[in-house]
Amino acid sequence: MMPLRYDPDKKLHQFARVLGITIVSLSLLVLVWWMIALLIDIPYLPTPVRVYDAFWRLMEFGDVATGLTMGEHVQSSLQRFAGGFAIAFAIAVPLGLAMGYSQTTEEFSNPIIEVIRPIAPMAWAPLFILSMGALLGPMMVVFIGVFFPVLSNTIFGVKKIDPYMVDAARTLGANNLQVFYKVMFPCTVPFIMNGIKIGLGIGWMCIVAAEMIIAFGGGVGYFILTQSQIGNWSNVFVGLFLVSALGILTTGLADRVHRIVVRRVGME
Amino acid sequence: MNESLSIKNLEKVFKTEDDEVVAIADFNLDVKKGELVSLLGPSGCGKTTILRMVAGLLEPSSGDVVVAGNKVSGPGSDRGMVFQEFALFPWRSVRKNIEFGLELSGVPKAEREQRANEYLEMVGLERFADARIHELSGGMKQRVGIARALANDPEVLLMDEPFGALDAQTRNIMQKELLKIIKRTEKTILFVTHSVDEAVFLSDRIVVLTKRPGSIKEIIEVPWPRPRDRASPEVTEMRKSILDELEKENVMNDD
Repeated sequence: MMPLRYDPDKKLHQFARVLGITIVSLSLLVLVWWMIALLIDIPYLPTPVRVYDAFWRLMEFGDVATGLTMGEHVQSSLQRFAGGFAIAFAIAVPLGLAMGYSQTTEEFSNPIIEVIRPIAPMAWAPLFILSMGALLGPMMVVFIGVFFPVLSNTIFGVKKIDPYMVDAARTLGANNLQVFYKVMFPCTVPFIMNGIKIGLGIGWMCIVAAEMIIAFGGGVGYFILTQSQIGNWSNVFVGLFLVSALGILTTGLADRVHRIVVRRVGME
Repeated sequence: MNESLSIKNLEKVFKTEDDEVVAIADFNLDVKKGELVSLLGPSGCGKTTILRMVAGLLEPSSGDVVVAGNKVSGPGSDRGMVFQEFALFPWRSVRKNIEFGLELSGVPKAEREQRANEYLEMVGLERFADARIHELSGGMKQRVGIARALANDPEVLLMDEPFGALDAQTRNIMQKELLKIIKRTEKTILFVTHSVDEAVFLSDRIVVLTKRPGSIKEIIEVPWPRPRDRASPEVTEMRKSILDELEKENVMNDD
């Protein structure tokens, strides 16, 4: 029989290696968790088995405490997340392009932005949620979280544009508008995507945190909060893993899109 | 009208906080249709500054640039430019780079494609029409740069040390390639270089510039037909005499 040897040049071998290491590292996490849970034996830290059981129970019967299914919780969170993200994107990108392009716009907008930027998105949560409700409130928290990274990356992107490219476009007959959308925008896209990637991570943290303040309307954060209040710690852990899984999904998706865009734009 | 390009009393003064630097002073030059004129001078003499003023990318402090009878007041498609840094658009294919200027002026797609094909063939890149810019070598990139500028069919082609970023061998190949293109298109070219060899090999006339403030030190006619033999005694002699001139210029101002 041929002995199986690791060949770093083979894609399949690379994949198998990464997969193997990942399985070992995650198994170790579960094992350590399990050991600690058994050793200290307190209700706040359920064993993996109990969390696993809780997960399937929740999938089957839904969240009895709020009367919502897990699907509805996830849907609520994603809805708020997507809404806040879309608003942030729609405002931050044009504003960032304008700020990078025109010095006056930047000088005018900077003081306003610098005053608001240091305020943690979560600090706005009580205000937004009480004034705008359970859907729009958390959405606005996400908006704040996503807005700044997308904005600063867009501005940065505009400033990184190769001035010779702009010169070339002008000598080929481009007017200001054409320079803007035929050169500056495509040049900035990879930077905008990078801002989106960072923004997605922050936004996802914002949404779960903001949902912990609302008193109704579902959502993964809301689920974690209500389950803590009734002391069902196994369900709380299911909520935590749900947050993790959805976070990995969204940032993974953004990462994929980022790579495709960068390749399309030809700026590897 | 025999002049493609006419530069009159061109002057450029750069102002700083409490100082004024005269970069270009009293620069006059007429370039005939189909002529290739080189601006040659030590680095920092302002040859690129002159070219950028002709392109309309930089405003002169005083003086006029007239192209085919029209006074220049900004960049325009009647003056194509080729950059040392290539300045290609990496998100566009080779073909789409060449079509850029035609796209801006609203040329219909079918005609754009046909014109692009024509210039792809001229610079020998037919097989790379759909390649991405980062897949090309330096020499190929500059072929795209030249084709892109020519596709607009400009009155004057401005070349700013176009082969300066290439290795010596590619440089020689590109110079010969340019001669072929000139033969076919009969373009008027203003060519900036710091290479004496390149200037003598390519030009109808060489404008030797003084060190700052840049003005004309001497205009040399290169009488021999192209292609020229770089190693022939008279070409070598001309190269030597220009190099001596430039050296004097450097020594005189290096105090």
